[in-house]
Amino acid sequence: MADLPELRRGAEAPPVIRVRGLVTRFGPQVVHDGLDLDVRPGEVLGVVGGSGTGKSVLLKEILGLMEPAAGRIELLGHDTAALGRSERTALQARTGVLFQNGALFSSMTVAENVMLPLKEHTALPPSLIAEVARVKIAMAGLPPDAGTKHPAQLSGGMIKRAGLARALALDPDILFLDEPTAGLDPIGAAAFDTLIQGLQRSLGLTVFMVTHDLDSLTSICDRIAVLVDRKIRVGTLAQHLADPHPWIHDYFHGPRGRAALDARERTAGPDAALRKAKG
Amino acid sequence: MGLTIRPCSATFPAVLVGVRLSAAGRVAGIVAKEGARIESGPDGNGWRIGVAGRWTLDVAGPAGEALDGMPQPAEETAVRLDLTDVDALDTVGAYLINRLAEGLRAGGHTVETIGLRPEQAALFAAVHDACKVPPRPIEREHHPVIDMVVRTGETTVTAGKELLNLVGFLGLVTVTFARLVVRPSRLRLTSVLFHIEQTGLNALPILGLLSFLIGVVLAFQGADQLKRFGAELFVVNLLGISVLREIGILMTAIIVAGRSGSAFTAQIGTMKVNQEVDAIGTMGLDPVELLVVPRALALMITLPLLAFYADIMGLFGGAVMAYATLDITFGQFIRQLHTAVGINTVLTGLVKAPVFALVIAMVGCYEGLKVSGSAESVGIMTTRAVVEGIFLVIVIDAVFSILFSMLGV
Repeated sequence: MADLPELRRGAEAPPVIRVRGLVTRFGPQVVHDGLDLDVRPGEVLGVVGGSGTGKSVLLKEILGLMEPAAGRIELLGHDTAALGRSERTALQARTGVLFQNGALFSSMTVAENVMLPLKEHTALPPSLIAEVARVKIAMAGLPPDAGTKHPAQLSGGMIKRAGLARALALDPDILFLDEPTAGLDPIGAAAFDTLIQGLQRSLGLTVFMVTHDLDSLTSICDRIAVLVDRKIRVGTLAQHLADPHPWIHDYFHGPRGRAALDARERTAGPDAALRKAKG
Repeated sequence: MGLTIRPCSATFPAVLVGVRLSAAGRVAGIVAKEGARIESGPDGNGWRIGVAGRWTLDVAGPAGEALDGMPQPAEETAVRLDLTDVDALDTVGAYLINRLAEGLRAGGHTVETIGLRPEQAALFAAVHDACKVPPRPIEREHHPVIDMVVRTGETTVTAGKELLNLVGFLGLVTVTFARLVVRPSRLRLTSVLFHIEQTGLNALPILGLLSFLIGVVLAFQGADQLKRFGAELFVVNLLGISVLREIGILMTAIIVAGRSGSAFTAQIGTMKVNQEVDAIGTMGLDPVELLVVPRALALMITLPLLAFYADIMGLFGGAVMAYATLDITFGQFIRQLHTAVGINTVLTGLVKAPVFALVIAMVGCYEGLKVSGSAESVGIMTTRAVVEGIFLVIVIDAVFSILFSMLGV
C-alpha cells in the first residue's frame, strides 16, 4: 500500500479515476464508445443515464469486475489492467463499494461483515478490530445493537447503512455507491444523503455515485456525469441545466427535475439542508 | 534530547524508545512505532502528550501498543493533547487518539486537544461522536452442558411441531382435493400435465440407468454367493423378490425425492421470495389449489409408473448380468422369474408408490411455502425437503414391511 501515491487535493491534483477511450460491447450492441472520464480527488460525482446506457457496467469496469473491449482505466494513478495480483489487492483495499442491495454476507452479523475486510487486509489485534468495527457502525448511523444482528433482521435503510460501514472499513480513498437511496423512503433517503456528505467531508473521500435520485444529485453532488450517446458528459448542475441535448434537457427540466431544483432553492443549498438535519 | 536507546526487533523493526530526564527530574518518554510517535511528559504545571507522525490503519496495531506503553501522568493533571505534528490521520488513528483522551478523562485528568487541522478536526469530531455510543452489554455466559440440554429440547420441540404442521398441511391439501372432486373444473389440468412431464418423463433416463446398474450389482453379488451352493439359477428369485418388492420402488422414491421434491421446494420458495404466493392470495386464489394440488397429483400419477419402469430396468440389468456371468439365457431367466414371483409381488411394491409420492410432494411443497424473505432460506428449505422426504420414505417403507408381514402378504 505504501508505494501508492498520497492524494493531493485541489484542481491541479491528478484525477483519482481516469478513464480514456473506453469501449464496451455486448455482441453487436455497443454500450460505451470512446468514453472519457476524470474524477477529481475529494469530489462527489453523480452518474446518471437512462436505462441501458451502461451506468452499472461502467461501475463494474472501474471496479475490475468486468473487462472493457478497449480503453484504459486508471485508479489512483494505476492502470487497472496492468496490475499484478498483489497490487490489485492493495488498490482494492483503497476503494470501498456499497452495492445497490447492500450485498452484506447473509451468514454473518453486521459487525462480522464490517470486521471481515479489517481481518483480511490488516494485522490489527482482534480486540482493536472489534472496536474499530463498532466505531464504523456508529459512524454509519446504526444503533449499537445492530452489530449483533444478521442482515435478514435489518430494514432496507439499515442494510444500506451497514453496507456503508463495511465499505468504509478500510478507510478507502474512493467510495463507490450504486443507487444508494433506491428503495428508501424520502426521509430515509435525505438522511442517507446527509450521512454520505458528512462522511465524505470528515474522511476526505472521493465519491462515485450512480444514482437516479434527483434530490441526491442536486443536494450533495459536486459534479454530475450524464451517460448519453455512448459517451459521458460531465459538468456542474448549472452546466447541465443549460445543455440543449434532448435527454439531458428532459432529465433536468422534467417535472421531477423541476421539483428537486425547487426544493434545492428553498433550502438554499446543501449546507442549509445539512444544518437543518443536524440541528 | 538526552539518551536514545534503539533496540532492534525482528518483528517490529521500527521500534525506538527514547527516555529523557526533564528539568523537574521526572521521567518522560518518547515512544515511536512504525511512523506513529508519542511524546509524553510533564510540561510546566501540567502534562503534555505530543502525538505526531502517521496515525493510519496500516500502523494502527503498533501505534496502539505504543499508546499502551506510554508514560502516564500520575495524579489529576491538566493534560494538553498536542496533535500539531500529525501527518496522516484516518478513522482508526482518530479512534486510538480519542480512546487515549477518553481514558485520561476517565482517570480524572482534564484533557485539552490542540493543533488539529480543520479536515482532521472534522474526522476527529465524527469519530468522537461515534464513540459516545455505549458498547453493548456482554452476554451472560452459559454452561455448555445446560446449553446442550436446551438445544436438545428445542430441537425436539421443533421437530414435533414440524411433524404436527406437516400433518395439518396434509389435512389442508386433502380438503382442497375433496373440493376439487366436487368441482373438477377447478383442477389445473395443464399444470398437472406439465408436472407429469417434469417429474415423470424427464426422470426416465437417470432412473433407468440407475435401476439397471442396481440390477447388475445385485445379480453379480447374488451370483457370487449362490455359486457356492450350486444354486446359480436362484439369483433370479433373489433379483425378482428384492427388486420388485423393495429396491425398485425405494430407488425410485429416493431419486424422485432428490429430483422433484427439491424442485418443488425451490419453485414454490422462489415464488414466495418474489411475493408471488402473496399475490395469488390477494387475487382470491388458493395457493394450495394452484401450486400444491397439481404437483401432488402429478407425482401420485407418475411415481407408480416410474416405479414399474424401474422394476423392469432393474430386472433387465440383472438378466444381462446373469447371462454374462452365469450363462443364464433370457428365456431361462423369464421362466424362472415366473415361478419365483407372482402378480402379488409386483403389487406389494407398487402399492407403496402413491403413498411415497404424496409424502414427497407434501414435504416439498410444505417446505417451499415455509420459505421466508431471503434467497438463502430457499437453499436451506430445499436441503431440508430432500432430507425429510428421503427420511419419511424410508420410515414409511419400514411401516409397510411390518404391515405386510402382519397381513402375511
